[in-house]
Amino acid sequence: MRTYAFPGLLALAVFSGLLHLSTQYQIVRAPMGALFLAFALAGPAAAYAAARVLPGGVVTWAGLGLFAAAMAAGVWLPPALDALALVGVFLAYAGSRDRLPERDAAAFWGWVFVWPALALMLIWNIFPSFFALWISLFDRFNFIGESRFVGLLNYEILWRDPLFWRALSNTFWYVVLTVPTGILLGTVVAVLLNERIRGLGLYRTIYFLPYITALTAAAAVWQWIYHPEFGFLNWLLGTPGLDWLHTPDGIFALALAPLGVQLSGFWAGPSVAFTAIMIMTVWHFLGYNVVILLAGLQSIPAQYYEAAELDGAGWWQMQRHITWPLLSPTTFFLAIIGLIGAFQVFTQVYVMTPTGGVLNDTLTVAMYLYNKGFRDSDFSYASALAVTMFVIILVLTLIQRRVLERRVTYEH
Amino acid sequence: MNTRLRHLLGRIFIYAVLTAGAVVMAFPFYWMIATSVKSPQEAQQAAPIWFPERIQPANWRTAWRLGAEGDRPWWGGFAPGRTVTLHLRVEDPGAGRPRARVPKPPAVFSDPRSESTRIRIEPAEGGWKIVLENAGTQRFTTLPLVVWIPKDAGKFRAELPPDAVRSQRGYWRLEWVNVSPGLFGYLFHNYREAWHAAPFARYFFVSFFTAGTQVLGGLIIATMAAFAFARIRFPGREAVFLLFVATMMIPGEVLLIPNYILLAKLGWLDTFYALIVPWLASVFGIFLLRQFFLSLPQDLFDAARIDGASYWGMLWRIAFPLAVPGLVTYGIFAFLGAYNALLWPLIVTQSPEMRTIQVGLQAFIGEAGSDYGQLMAASTMAILPIVLGYFFAQRHFIQGIARSGIK
Repeated sequence: MRTYAFPGLLALAVFSGLLHLSTQYQIVRAPMGALFLAFALAGPAAAYAAARVLPGGVVTWAGLGLFAAAMAAGVWLPPALDALALVGVFLAYAGSRDRLPERDAAAFWGWVFVWPALALMLIWNIFPSFFALWISLFDRFNFIGESRFVGLLNYEILWRDPLFWRALSNTFWYVVLTVPTGILLGTVVAVLLNERIRGLGLYRTIYFLPYITALTAAAAVWQWIYHPEFGFLNWLLGTPGLDWLHTPDGIFALALAPLGVQLSGFWAGPSVAFTAIMIMTVWHFLGYNVVILLAGLQSIPAQYYEAAELDGAGWWQMQRHITWPLLSPTTFFLAIIGLIGAFQVFTQVYVMTPTGGVLNDTLTVAMYLYNKGFRDSDFSYASALAVTMFVIILVLTLIQRRVLERRVTYEH
Repeated sequence: MNTRLRHLLGRIFIYAVLTAGAVVMAFPFYWMIATSVKSPQEAQQAAPIWFPERIQPANWRTAWRLGAEGDRPWWGGFAPGRTVTLHLRVEDPGAGRPRARVPKPPAVFSDPRSESTRIRIEPAEGGWKIVLENAGTQRFTTLPLVVWIPKDAGKFRAELPPDAVRSQRGYWRLEWVNVSPGLFGYLFHNYREAWHAAPFARYFFVSFFTAGTQVLGGLIIATMAAFAFARIRFPGREAVFLLFVATMMIPGEVLLIPNYILLAKLGWLDTFYALIVPWLASVFGIFLLRQFFLSLPQDLFDAARIDGASYWGMLWRIAFPLAVPGLVTYGIFAFLGAYNALLWPLIVTQSPEMRTIQVGLQAFIGEAGSDYGQLMAASTMAILPIVLGYFFAQRHFIQGIARSGIK
């Protein structure tokens, strides 16, 4: 044991020293460079003390609370933390020498192992979630001016903000149109690929490749395909000059106009520009759906199909009554993942229509959040948006669970 | 209809649908690569050019010879004392002697390349030859050329196809971006131009360093936490685990602003810390590895414990080697996520030195304007490492993605 622990801790100490030196000589632009190490080591120390002296880890939680409070107040205590880190090193060494009784050893090592992840989660996930809620209650919180507590004012403004509703309805159409299309197309491809065909590897690679290419590059390529003058798509469809990414007319309105039906606002549907982005998105994510569904298909036992075949069932009947129900857990998983991911769509929209399109016809909630927070420096309003988005996703996920999960067949 | 015929028709249908789909899926890739070797004039055609001049092997030998004459056969160049000869066939050489010039870059007072190149135009079999000699002492990487041919001379054919042909009064104006390209210099002209137009080498370094560190650090942190959750009974385990489960509900957008503020207070904006540290702990990775550790038999660990192994030793000597498939899965996911991310690096970096490849590409899309050849070359470069990685570790990619869908 000692063979591991001592060199490991020595390396940590040296690393810490180097970090200090590098900040001293400004090699690294990070005055708080050593802080993480300190926090990471203070954890095991507290855990050790907790396991050793007090029941229930009281010291640990007290230490955590202190730290969270200090962070919330924006007060930093690097020297004290450095001292703590030193204590942590000694205690960790003592613990690592395996002189503890079994229960204490489990407590000590459990906390040591879990601490780095927990510390990072606390700092970068858990605390910020509450902080987002907190700053959404202020008026124009940013680095520039003073801000004051205004309660739910930001949410009230949000409720009356036409741009927010525009972004929300765009995002709604995006989710409603891309997620089912992706799953449906993915199922078709996966079922066909599962038919014991030749060249499975080649087909799978071709369908999968778009998924691992970066959205930024893929969006650039599609922007070029959609180019109004020299784009491939206009040549293919014989529509020269059609500016796909700058056409704000809703597709439902366009489709129903010849029938004399006039649609406007939300019911006009997503714009041509946004539909073009959706097509690109379905292309990008199809491979992911195919691979997941193919794995789901391959886990369905072959006996079911054999039995159905003996009973004289046709190909379509087998798909309808065996594949579809037994694939439902996978489909359900994809629907949930797809919903959460689609609701946060940003990259392809930002690359293909950096300004949010003509008349904000491609503005999504995530993009509106980005604009508010990092273009207009209104962190409070952006946080209110983020919190609202969180609530909407949560509610939709719960509804999806209630409604869809009843139809899911888990048993084979 | 008999069964065999029906079976055959079914097969044909399956292959037809799959192949049609595959063509649609693969087309953007072909179009990206094809455009990346086009000259601007080729790219901006009303009818698409399926096979650009630069990927036609017939032109490769000329490019090779011209490059060798200028300096090197692979990458070309124009070294002092070298002479490059370009042949030009015309239908009627009697119509008049063509004119040729090495163009200056726009708005430049003096250009050594243009001034130290001596141009002679001599009659040759079936037309003319243009002899360019580097009379100066400097080496140039490219040798652009503009040639005017009288329209009366009828049809013409240059040995190396020009990048652009324009009409200028009584002349055809032929433009080459490089008449001494060498094979690679010819084929990858847009790649070289894009590479020098923006600091792509730095972008790649930032991306690889960020993604690599995230993967290595993340693997260690996730392995430790997953092992503790799966195999150690410590006070507070359930509470911490519940906390981790709860964080999965938080969408990334909620964390953007608070984490940005925290990074600003730490003075970490525009540093590697901002790119790496917030993403080191991954709940997904911890869950994935926990499943792996749970599937190992408990007896293994009990036996090791009785034999005097410490938890530290059990983790790295027993559990870690047995969880390699899970580690590879998580590593691929973490690398893909870090390499392909745009929003986060866009927010926390400002200076060009800290741009990842995606942010760099996004900036390049704005700067490149209408030079779609260069833009597609840059896009190809940006996706190349991941695609290459996929071809080397195809099985792991597919298994990893498939595994992420199974609870």
